[in-house]
Amino acid sequence: MTPESLHRSAAPAPGRRVPKALAWLAGAALLVGGVALLSSRGDAGASSDAEAGGAAASRKGAAGGRGHGGRAGAGGTQEEAPPPPRFDEAVCWRELERFDAAVTLENFRAWAAPLLASGDSLVADYLTERLTELIGQDPDRASEVLSWARTAGPDEFNVLLTALRGSEAVHHAQVATQLLAQGMDATLDGGRRAGILAALDTQKRFEPAALDTLTSFAKDPVSGEAGWAATRTIARVMKRDFEAKGNAAPYMDALLAIGTESPDEQIRYLALSTPMHATPVLDEHTRAQYAKVLTQEGSPDGREAAAHNLSISGDPQEVLELFAQAFAREQETCVRWALFRFAARASGREALPVMANMAMADPRFQPLYQIFEQLYASGLHDFVRLWNSLPDQDPFGCLVGHD
Amino acid sequence: MKRLCLLLTLPLFPLLATGAHAASADAQPALRASTCSVRGLMDDLRRGLGSGSPSYQRYLRTLLREAAVTLPDAELRDAFARETDPVMAEHLAAALVARAEREADPQAMDVVAQRALQDVDPAVRAATLRAMRRTGALERTGDLYERMVRDESPQVRQEAATNLIEDNAHVYAGQYGPAADTAVTAAVASSDPEVTARILDNLSTEKISAESAERITSLLRSDDASVRKAAVNALGGVPAEQMQGARESLLAMYREEPDEGVRKALLQSVAQLGFDGAIADLQRLRDMDPRLAREADAWIQVLGMGLQEWSLLLREKQRLQQAP
Repeated sequence: MTPESLHRSAAPAPGRRVPKALAWLAGAALLVGGVALLSSRGDAGASSDAEAGGAAASRKGAAGGRGHGGRAGAGGTQEEAPPPPRFDEAVCWRELERFDAAVTLENFRAWAAPLLASGDSLVADYLTERLTELIGQDPDRASEVLSWARTAGPDEFNVLLTALRGSEAVHHAQVATQLLAQGMDATLDGGRRAGILAALDTQKRFEPAALDTLTSFAKDPVSGEAGWAATRTIARVMKRDFEAKGNAAPYMDALLAIGTESPDEQIRYLALSTPMHATPVLDEHTRAQYAKVLTQEGSPDGREAAAHNLSISGDPQEVLELFAQAFAREQETCVRWALFRFAARASGREALPVMANMAMADPRFQPLYQIFEQLYASGLHDFVRLWNSLPDQDPFGCLVGHD
Repeated sequence: MKRLCLLLTLPLFPLLATGAHAASADAQPALRASTCSVRGLMDDLRRGLGSGSPSYQRYLRTLLREAAVTLPDAELRDAFARETDPVMAEHLAAALVARAEREADPQAMDVVAQRALQDVDPAVRAATLRAMRRTGALERTGDLYERMVRDESPQVRQEAATNLIEDNAHVYAGQYGPAADTAVTAAVASSDPEVTARILDNLSTEKISAESAERITSLLRSDDASVRKAAVNALGGVPAEQMQGARESLLAMYREEPDEGVRKALLQSVAQLGFDGAIADLQRLRDMDPRLAREADAWIQVLGMGLQEWSLLLREKQRLQQAP
């Protein structure tokens, strides 16, 4: 599954209730244009499960595991009344209490093995959290767990890396350095390296050397799945560092380098789209870089991402002019729609004349222009509220399966 | 992808691991999957909450909720009715709420709501309310919250406020008008200023009704400064149809408002209602109160950046004021 397909199918599954809430959440995902920070390519290891937190819907269905509320009867005819809800039974484990009391780092793998083999996702989550507790703040314990990861099977690997990622010890320089080194170890397979690099994404910041290593690796034509994970890790750490310390510039440079130099379209798109989650106000240098992407990137998704990032800038007028020029030469409807709506995000109601010109050039945008004009006339200013007020946030089918 | 290789190794792993660690397996627990029962889960939970690791405690709480849909309904309800320990009552209530949420037992929510209203122990009432948090209970419980914010126990009133805030933020993402209206109704109904202020300070009013906006406006005349401040904050985010009226109310209030904190909130809400169109208003307000000149200047500067999202304006103002 590609990041693009993930972001286009990212709307939460139809819920059993609160449709309004779910509809909005879907809208939020569409607004940012992607959920790359929340998703993964090829299920790259530890982070996606942990990131999901308590969201049951995103967990793997467990054979005999939690009752995830699956309803039967998908094949019924229209005349038949829907069958009553049917739920999988949860599993209760005899002697788990004794396991909890007596498990140690030394016996963890042996004792956890039968639980992991059962496929019970609820108990797998418990094992992950219990291992995080056992690692604690001790870098040597973290290193030992990391050493197991080199040969662990996939289910155990996920537990090990997710536990490590969530531990206090992962913030110890020794552990972070080892994770990075193993992530760069070409003797490991790509999926394993991806999982290891994903476990670095809870770091509070990256020093320049680590950032350079990750960036060079992600740009490498053969980095593949692990390069994708490295890119996502950079983006996640950027978001954290930016929110805590306002520090985005070195990460933005790294992501721009990957986004313009990687030969892998998926990695380029990830690098170009992830800054929108941190939403830094772009300076002149970064604006110029994204302006180049807007004209030179071959992938429409990449150009959309550039438009998204450019819409939060220190010079709205310059961005409006850029969008007007780009719209005129742009052939892809979805990129045009991005330029149209992000013009409003860049300049608010001041963008209306530019948007009117866009609608003149491409009459499909006429009804959309009228909606934006009415919304601004109603007194709205906040682009998020305006977006939430659109009767259709995806008028051209760009966000779900437009390929 | 390459993970296929890993998948192929999976079936071998448990055998290999067990063999490799045979030396430490002497005391290995005889882990066995079994069917869950109400009594078994309750016993495990009661013991586990006393002595288990934090992860085991989380597991047991989650397991009870997940197992709830397939547990015998009468047995579960009976256990809940008999339970007097607030901690255990909360987990049993959460199990019943989970049943209701999954349509396994739509009436289960009523059972929990009645206990929240009627139990003689305020700790149980509070615990039962917590069990409904971050669920759709708010839509299924009628005037429950209006009543709970008037409970004689301050703890119960605060738990009710927390539910209203967290449900609106995390279940409805601030986008479901009826849920926000329920919160406004409860905030106005409470005679506890801390509860009223806390709800309104933490509620998205983006989708509230005109009636709710009027109710909030009436609180601008409260004797309690924290309530006035919260009402001012709440009016900053009202729907487009209410924005002009809110702006006028807030501008009119500024002149007479004695409290500096409330005036500061007024500057913010005027900024939120007008974006860069509020700069002229803010310049006028700035001249009325020299104590708040720096605050007004910060808003004027940030609004001048031309950013078009309120969350970004808030963020940039915070950065501006934190800058050395």
